[in-house]
Amino acid sequence: MQLEYFLLLAAALFCIGIYGLITSRNAVRVLMSIELLLNAVNLNLMAFSNFMDSDAIKGQVFTVFVITVAAAEAAVGLAIVLAIYRNRDTVDMEQFNLLKW
Amino acid sequence: MADFLLESVWLVPCYALIGGLLSIPWSPGILRRTGPRPSGYVNLIATFLAFVHSALTIPLAWNQPPYELSIPWLNTAGLNLSIDLEISAISVTAMAVIAGLNFLAQVYAVGYMEMDWGWARFYSLLGIFEAGLCALALCNNLFFSYVILEVLTLGTYLLVGLWFSQSLVVTGARDAFLTKRVGDLFLLMGVLAIYPLAGTWNYWELGEWAATANVDPKLMLLVGLALIAGPMGKCAQFPLHLWLDEAMEGPVPSTILRNSVVVASGAWVLIKLQPVLSLSPVVSTTMVVIGSITAVGASLIAIAQIDIKRCLSYSVSAYMGLVFIAVGTQQDEAALLLVLIHALSAALLVMGTGTIVWNNITQDVTQLGGLWSRRPVSAIGYIVGTLGLIAVPPLGGFWALLKLASGVWTTQPWLAGVIILVNGLTAFSLTREFGLIWGGKHQSMSYRSPEVSWQMILPMTFLVGFVLHLPILLQTVSILPSWATLNKDVGLLLIWSSIFGCSISGVIYLGNIPKPIRLPWKGLQDLIAYDFYTPKLYRMTIVLGVGLLSQLADIVDRFVVDGIVNLVGLASLGGGEGLKYSNSGQTQFYVLTVLLGVGFLGVALTWKYWNSFLEVIF
Repeated sequence: MQLEYFLLLAAALFCIGIYGLITSRNAVRVLMSIELLLNAVNLNLMAFSNFMDSDAIKGQVFTVFVITVAAAEAAVGLAIVLAIYRNRDTVDMEQFNLLKW
Repeated sequence: MADFLLESVWLVPCYALIGGLLSIPWSPGILRRTGPRPSGYVNLIATFLAFVHSALTIPLAWNQPPYELSIPWLNTAGLNLSIDLEISAISVTAMAVIAGLNFLAQVYAVGYMEMDWGWARFYSLLGIFEAGLCALALCNNLFFSYVILEVLTLGTYLLVGLWFSQSLVVTGARDAFLTKRVGDLFLLMGVLAIYPLAGTWNYWELGEWAATANVDPKLMLLVGLALIAGPMGKCAQFPLHLWLDEAMEGPVPSTILRNSVVVASGAWVLIKLQPVLSLSPVVSTTMVVIGSITAVGASLIAIAQIDIKRCLSYSVSAYMGLVFIAVGTQQDEAALLLVLIHALSAALLVMGTGTIVWNNITQDVTQLGGLWSRRPVSAIGYIVGTLGLIAVPPLGGFWALLKLASGVWTTQPWLAGVIILVNGLTAFSLTREFGLIWGGKHQSMSYRSPEVSWQMILPMTFLVGFVLHLPILLQTVSILPSWATLNKDVGLLLIWSSIFGCSISGVIYLGNIPKPIRLPWKGLQDLIAYDFYTPKLYRMTIVLGVGLLSQLADIVDRFVVDGIVNLVGLASLGGGEGLKYSNSGQTQFYVLTVLLGVGFLGVALTWKYWNSFLEVIF
């Protein structure tokens, strides 16, 4: 068990999240990808907190905050998606390109 | 009083200038109620003053050594421009001739321009011409001679273009300006090039410099050619002679002045430059060649014209060609004498034919005829002008041509032959014009032809008297050669050529030979009648070349220069138009660009650690 493995795993999760964030056409899946990103961050925070700061574990505190804020963000995000859906009857990200050039 | 007259002789050009300026208020747009006539009278008074002043000064200046007045004009670093005035018998006489001829021409114009409203413009321009010519006669400085020549070029443009509602007048004025301008610009090159060589523009100092100068002959050749190019244009010499033909579109009274005096302004500068020009034998030869070609060519062309004024204008070119020959063979005195004689006689000829134009309307000599019985005074004026111009003793033309021809008799006999030939041809053409206008039968245009009013006849008869008295005047001041030193062979040849020219022409045009005369070769007749097709020649060479070049420059300017600048604008426009599509409206795309940016920035910031990082991994 080493720090690097955790970090690499978190990075891999982050990359998957990025991939999902950029390629998904469903707006909810974009939000889910964002959750993946936040979880990758949480993994990082936890790993650093365990291996580098096992006395004060400030990372765990951060993680708690991140989870909290992520929940709030997901709630707002879903609300936005719902609001758009009400207007446009779709959650396809490719249909939301009104603000171009 | 005498001293005062002599010392204030520089006022002569000022009188004319003031007269010219004072006539402007009677332009139709300024003083609307008086009519234009006062402008002419004002100018006449000013010109008369100028004439009296200069004429009274002649005897005072005659036996005096010439002296110089110098008026500083501009002093800048290393260059002192002062207006040098030469007060000598010759310059004062020249001013008197100019002012006198201008006075006569102006009196003539009072009659001739009677039905014209443009007196203010006309008289102010005549005044400016007189002022310019008198100033040129006084001027002893090449630089200021050039300045005056340019002013006169502008004056010619305005005066030829007096009746600018006629299209031929506009093109004639254009050609007169541009042709003379080209010559003047070459002259400017010469004027500028001679300063580093001689260090002065004063004619006397130039003469002194030329006496001992040791200059590279090639350099002197180029400078000399540039210096003769100006007078070449001014004197209407080949190949810069077309303008004088077209300048005949101007009013007759101004033609009097131009034919007699204005074209001689170039000859005057040429004569003054003679010491410098004779430094290069090639330049002298060039002058002689140009003069000979012009003299023979133009007198041939004069024979083939049907326009009453153009018949005379080519003779002017021919006689100016003789002046070129005189200067080219270093005969200043003959040249000056020739200019004087030609001025008086040519003025008389133009006055004589002008009276015919005034009330026969047509200028076509083939439509005139039979005027001798009812227009004797004009005819006598014309005859005296003719006799004064060609070599008929005892009148002036004989002495001038004799002097010129005997000067080259021993050294260049062929040149004397040219002079004799030109004399014969001029005699032929002038007699032809006389025969066609005054001889023969009446034609419809000349059926009723009363003699003109006194304003036109009086100056002409005055001039007749003067031309007839000229030999006596010349005798008194002992310019004429004595009988013992006379070159009788040349004299006889000249007289014979005049007799031949006049009598052959008289037989053809006063006899019963059917007119119009046709030469056996129509091509030749057309060639000289159309002035060797000079307009076509100009149009095919210089005008075509400059035209093509300016079109090319225009294209380059429009497309290349403008194009490059416009391309910059277009490129930024196109860049904006193209790059705006990077704002795709897709949030995910924006995220991608943010991430790419962060990624690149991260790579760039950590670039220096990548080596060790890769070593750790592999």
